[in-house]
Amino acid sequence: MFYHISLEHEILLHPRYFGPQLLDTVKQKLYTEVEGTCTGKYGFVIAVTTIDSIGAGLIQPGQGFVVYPVKYKAIVFRPFKGEVLDAIVTQVNKVGMFAQIGPLSCFISHHSIPADMEFCPNVNPPCYKSKQEDNVIQEEDVIRLKIVGTRVDATGIFAIGTLMDDYLGLVTQ
Amino acid sequence: MAANSMPISVPSEKPLKLVKWKVKEGAFVSHGQILFLYSDSSGDSGEIKKYKVARAGTIVSIKVREGDIADPGTCIADLEECRHPTVMKEMCAECGADLRAEEVQKHDVAIVPMVHSVPELKVSEELAQKLGREDADRLLKNRKLVLLVDLDQTLVHTTNDNIPPNLKGKTQVNLKAFIYFRALFPCGDNMVCIIDDREDVWRHASNLIHVRPYSFFQSTGDINAPPPLPEDKPRLAIGKNGSQLPTSNQMPTLDAEPEKDGKEIKDKQTDEKEKSVEVENGKILSEKPDIKDGEKIDKPLEPPPCVWVGNADGQIEVDDADDYLIYLEDILKRIHKHFYDIYDSMGQQPIPDLKFIIPDVKSKVLAGSSLVFSGLVPTHQRLETSRAYQVAKSLGADVTQDFTDKTTHLVAIRSGTAKVNASRKMGDGKSNKIHVVTPEWLWTCAERWERVDERLYPLQRGGQSSARRPPAHCSSPPPPPVRRRTPSGRFMDSLNPLLSFSSDDIADMDREVEDIFNESDESSSDDEEKPTDDVDDEENISEDRLLSLETSQSSQDRLGENKEGNDSSDSNTEDGERPRKRPRPSTPPSDDDVPPDDDDSSWNLMGAALEREFLAQD
Repeated sequence: MFYHISLEHEILLHPRYFGPQLLDTVKQKLYTEVEGTCTGKYGFVIAVTTIDSIGAGLIQPGQGFVVYPVKYKAIVFRPFKGEVLDAIVTQVNKVGMFAQIGPLSCFISHHSIPADMEFCPNVNPPCYKSKQEDNVIQEEDVIRLKIVGTRVDATGIFAIGTLMDDYLGLVTQ
Repeated sequence: MAANSMPISVPSEKPLKLVKWKVKEGAFVSHGQILFLYSDSSGDSGEIKKYKVARAGTIVSIKVREGDIADPGTCIADLEECRHPTVMKEMCAECGADLRAEEVQKHDVAIVPMVHSVPELKVSEELAQKLGREDADRLLKNRKLVLLVDLDQTLVHTTNDNIPPNLKGKTQVNLKAFIYFRALFPCGDNMVCIIDDREDVWRHASNLIHVRPYSFFQSTGDINAPPPLPEDKPRLAIGKNGSQLPTSNQMPTLDAEPEKDGKEIKDKQTDEKEKSVEVENGKILSEKPDIKDGEKIDKPLEPPPCVWVGNADGQIEVDDADDYLIYLEDILKRIHKHFYDIYDSMGQQPIPDLKFIIPDVKSKVLAGSSLVFSGLVPTHQRLETSRAYQVAKSLGADVTQDFTDKTTHLVAIRSGTAKVNASRKMGDGKSNKIHVVTPEWLWTCAERWERVDERLYPLQRGGQSSARRPPAHCSSPPPPPVRRRTPSGRFMDSLNPLLSFSSDDIADMDREVEDIFNESDESSSDDEEKPTDDVDDEENISEDRLLSLETSQSSQDRLGENKEGNDSSDSNTEDGERPRKRPRPSTPPSDDDVPPDDDDSSWNLMGAALEREFLAQD
């Protein structure tokens, strides 16, 4: 799920940036340090939308580095258990398949793929195929899956998905 | 299993009426899923409630039908908890449970890493076997077999010499066709065939086809050899002899999972060009033997064996005369055909085992021939223990000490021996003349698995064949091309040959790996202090060994210089560097003794000493 939330971040700046462009540098540094990261609590930071305030810089004693507390708003993506999402299949093997939901990678076990779909290693690329061959999932395909579990670490999120529910599986454009 | 099943009983104090089941028997339910709808049995007007399951698992049996009324305490259904047979990053991939949070004892169910590129993905042994069986069935259905392919020095050869950049990795000319051919063999049981240029890696497994190492860059040897001695370097820089390995710092990381290389072909193809790394062969390695750029050793490049033609866009085309893959393809096709012929004729029941089929196919190559050796086996050695004998036997030929009525071939080192003369006399009167051939004939037969035309390898009158040792290419480090162990039932029950290593074997391999690391540490740190930590007896010994190796090494080098232009000098020097890893062949000096063979005895002694050392460790 996507959220637009307020977040805070501290920017540590080298004294060589002290000058007329100081605040620009802080902003620039915020973008590079924050966008694309992942926190266990809020999920993936997709984009910084606004920078609300850059607080007063605090010079670190004995170093000369300065710390700016920055308040900003960002769009974050936080996957939840039970959420239904569209994903792109990245790898298919006999144990299951891996899919990517933007920055989030997700594994779907063979067990969670409808039983009528069989793994076919002999075609290139390998795929899961239903007996009637009308339903084929292979690499690069878009599938709709339901997240059944997430592993949230301090630095990343990994999800387990399933295709065993109504309206899940290959998304036909 | 039964221990994991738990009953679902009536959730309220009052009897309830089961309105509708939302799941079927045998269905998998995840945490929080609705199992059934119910209402209080007292009034029909009662609102319908949903029952959600508290744990993930499988509904084993449903005991209350729709419309029935269940009293408090009755069991409505049995739920078997998820046993977490597939685990990805410590999360059950079936129910989504976080196994770090769950009780610890469940962690050990899924232990087999199934997909080599994703080591975090593990499955239970049960599931692994199921997947393995499915694989085997699929193979049989599609009439395929598994081919495990070694890359380095089998299909590709790379170097870090000074050569045009687009040539860093050189693939066998026919590789493209060959990879497609590989699709003929994908994954399973007794249906695995291995091609490798080193058989010791596989412990001479009988389903291995020992192929000729692919060696394109002449000055680049086998980096699986023990790293060169520190003292080697100055000599290398002078460039007296371009034939040894400039490598001490690029001992690659060994990987315990041999299946790797078969599958990594594509990766390898794409990134081999950036990799300035020599080939290592045989060992099953992760394909990332990193080496730091600055460490290339500058040395004069030997004249390349092939013609390099630069064309307009800077690319360089190379003529490579190596056509071995054509023969290999033929070998593999014959094995495949033979396997399925037997499979069909046996009524498809017991699945044939390639470990028997491959030696069987091979033994048909020279079946019916009867060989006599002259000058190949040293007089003090028993015929049966010589490599040449084993090669001939594995090809199905009969080998006798002396001429018999059935003798068809005389394999002789040089003309003028008593046997050669005798054969000429015998041949005079008879219609079926005995073929007098050089040992190359035998090596070529073994290499191609076909009976090569004897006329291509006649014994020249007066001339001496240079191939007393097997030629450089099929022996480059190790001598004769192929030796095969007679089929034994040892691997029979195993799911695949890789799993069949006993724990001792595996411990052995681990030791070997550690050893290599230790050695490479030593030699790469030659300008630092000798590593002081964890230097134990073993290391001291190997240090000694290195020193003694060095002395013999240089003597061999001198020999190599004497016979400049003789391509076997390459193999001599390389040979010397791996007394331990390759079983030293019983070299065949015999009637005519040439000095080079003298240091063989010292090698053998050293080998024996090493063996004792390893045995003592156990």
